[in-house]
Amino acid sequence: MSSATFAVLGLYTDAHKIVDAANQIRPRKLGRLEAYTPYPVHGLDRAIGLAPSGLGRLVMLMGVIGAGLALLFEGWVSAVDYPLVTGGKALFSWQAFVPVMFEVTVLFATFTAGLAMLFAFNKLPFFGHPVLHSRAIKGITRDKLALSIEATSEAFDAEAARRALLDNGAESVEIVPVPAWDRPLSLVGLLRTIAAIVAACAVAGGGLFAAEKLMPIVPPMIHMHEQPKLNAFQESAFFADGRGMRPAVAGTVARGHLPPAFATPEEAGTLLSNPLPLTQPIAERGHKVFGDHCAICHGLVGDGVPLLSRAYGGKPGNFLSNEIRARPDGHYFGVLMLGKNAMPSYAADLDQDDRWAVVHYIRILQRAQNAKDEDLR
Amino acid sequence: MSATSPRSSLVRNLLVGLTLIGAAGTAGAYFSASRERFWVNWLLWTLFLLTLGLGNLFLVALERLVGAHWSVPMRRVPERIASLIPLAIVLLLVAFFGVPVIFPWTHPAAAHNPILVAKAAWLNLPFFAIRLAVCAVVWMLFYRFYVRGSLRQDESKDPAFTVRARRLAPAFMVVFFFSVTILAFDWISGLEPEWYSDMFGVYLFAGTFISGIAAMLLGVLSLMRRGRLPEVQTKHVYNLGSLGLAFTVFFAYIGFAQYMLIWYANLPDEVIWFKHRIEGAWQPVALLLPLLHFFIPFFLLIGSVGKKHPAPLRLAALSILLGHFVDLYWLIFPVLGPRPLFGWPELAMACFFLGLGSLQIRRAMGRGADMPVGDPLLAQGLEWQV
Repeated sequence: MSSATFAVLGLYTDAHKIVDAANQIRPRKLGRLEAYTPYPVHGLDRAIGLAPSGLGRLVMLMGVIGAGLALLFEGWVSAVDYPLVTGGKALFSWQAFVPVMFEVTVLFATFTAGLAMLFAFNKLPFFGHPVLHSRAIKGITRDKLALSIEATSEAFDAEAARRALLDNGAESVEIVPVPAWDRPLSLVGLLRTIAAIVAACAVAGGGLFAAEKLMPIVPPMIHMHEQPKLNAFQESAFFADGRGMRPAVAGTVARGHLPPAFATPEEAGTLLSNPLPLTQPIAERGHKVFGDHCAICHGLVGDGVPLLSRAYGGKPGNFLSNEIRARPDGHYFGVLMLGKNAMPSYAADLDQDDRWAVVHYIRILQRAQNAKDEDLR
Repeated sequence: MSATSPRSSLVRNLLVGLTLIGAAGTAGAYFSASRERFWVNWLLWTLFLLTLGLGNLFLVALERLVGAHWSVPMRRVPERIASLIPLAIVLLLVAFFGVPVIFPWTHPAAAHNPILVAKAAWLNLPFFAIRLAVCAVVWMLFYRFYVRGSLRQDESKDPAFTVRARRLAPAFMVVFFFSVTILAFDWISGLEPEWYSDMFGVYLFAGTFISGIAAMLLGVLSLMRRGRLPEVQTKHVYNLGSLGLAFTVFFAYIGFAQYMLIWYANLPDEVIWFKHRIEGAWQPVALLLPLLHFFIPFFLLIGSVGKKHPAPLRLAALSILLGHFVDLYWLIFPVLGPRPLFGWPELAMACFFLGLGSLQIRRAMGRGADMPVGDPLLAQGLEWQV
């Protein structure tokens, strides 16, 4: 089989001539036309009969998909999964997403262009090509352009192909035989390639691990950890008072923390009433606040039996007692803000809505433990 | 020449008529509309013509700078469109009379505005006039050098001019970027002098460049349709389309970068400028701008088909030019109030300036050969392969 012809190569130096020759030879259907050139020649793809490539459309499609995915991902992260207001901007701020959308578009488009070109359109990988064994290959990789007529059947007439090329301006012609090996892609070759990639990864990864962890030559990248910053209660030379944490600006009030307009819980009871409607979410909020802050002393049902050990000597109020039940909502609110007996103020821990929600919850506990017949209807 | 054909003289007469009607309307606008509105219109159209001229002069110099061959056969078109520069300079000198009307830093109240007091070293009338004069002289010198020189080369066939033109191109680039930045800062962002944006000069440059390409594209296509550029092929126009595609993206990039930085920082004195332009009645105009200036030309030009056929190329170029007008309108007109104004004074002045500009380009289109026949690079340009 070694005498069989793979292709006939005609060599040119002028880009115009090779395009003209291809246009002349193509209709004669001597074999499959192929071209080997050291640089892209405009119009040669059409001249050798290649259909327009679908690569452009594929790249466009993937670019649009990339932009859409980036928008969806960023929108979902910023507005749905972890809504966090940054700089007073809306959660779904498209302006902030555009740079990432742009990058992902480019990423998808270039990867599609590169990978589809190599693997789908150029049919890589292959590990050898008959033309690589020709005498002409040195010229082709330098300054010569080759037009090749490849044998597609047993009936291929190498002599006719040779004459067609010479008649159409080829400077020299070479007949490339089918090489001894018949399949360009062998299993051994494939396995060798995979082994080489694995070995390269192992050397790179192992080397970095050794340099960073075993014998710390390369310092680990922990720049975010090492940035200049102040922890809570840390001293700071920057501020005149030496404190790292900044006190609230004089004359300002935090949202949800209005200062009390009353002096005693009794006064609060006469002045205030619960502004929150009793709804399921508010009752649940009160339940959570009660569990977090109140139950440890007042008991899970508010009966004044602490969850703490008896060694704790306080005597928490019993919300179920007639005396405490009779007090107005505002009184509870007042106690939460001002404290009572051994109980400290919870003004800093709970905001206004937390306080009113827990008052609702205490009322629910009281009603549950003093249920009347009407409640069951 | 086609200038003597009956259809051509009809077009000419129509343009003269349009200009005269526009001139009458412009005079009417001066006396009946508010002075501010008149001068803002005048400025808008002067800048429109000037940026088209400058963009084309830049294209000519750019070809010289990089030693491009492909654009040589089409170079007469940008050289001719650059003839808008002398016309627009005259119009800009006239606009100097409107400076005390439309620029707040000239008003007596500016003396009590701490921001304007701080900027007084730059924003004062004598220095403003000096900058205008220097820019006008520099533009005229380079215009005469590149356009007249190229026309003279038609007869002399002197290759020395090609060498000189290349040597001078780097100097033109430096001068051009400074002068366009001055144009942008003085004549557009100076309308709201408390505002500033470092990249505003680049923004106007990007708009100038891309609208210059669009005007050149329209000119080349129209000459080709009349059979006056028989040797210019699809490949030449294709490359011009590629350049157009690249610079619509550049314009969108610069425009969005300016907007996003100001949006992110959210500083009141910077944001207010955009707030006036993207909210309320101005919102539709703000949405029209990226559509005309980026999305339509981008999707028309991205494929190879769109760059090979006259219809999509012409549509993209028209969209860019309309987008350039909308851009200048959107930059300048919000000083008149919270609603976009477009009444008879705008229409009349549009007729006047567009008529003047078209007549100027038509006149220039008859000047010299349709290809730079004396340029030694012309043969290579015609032979050139993508």
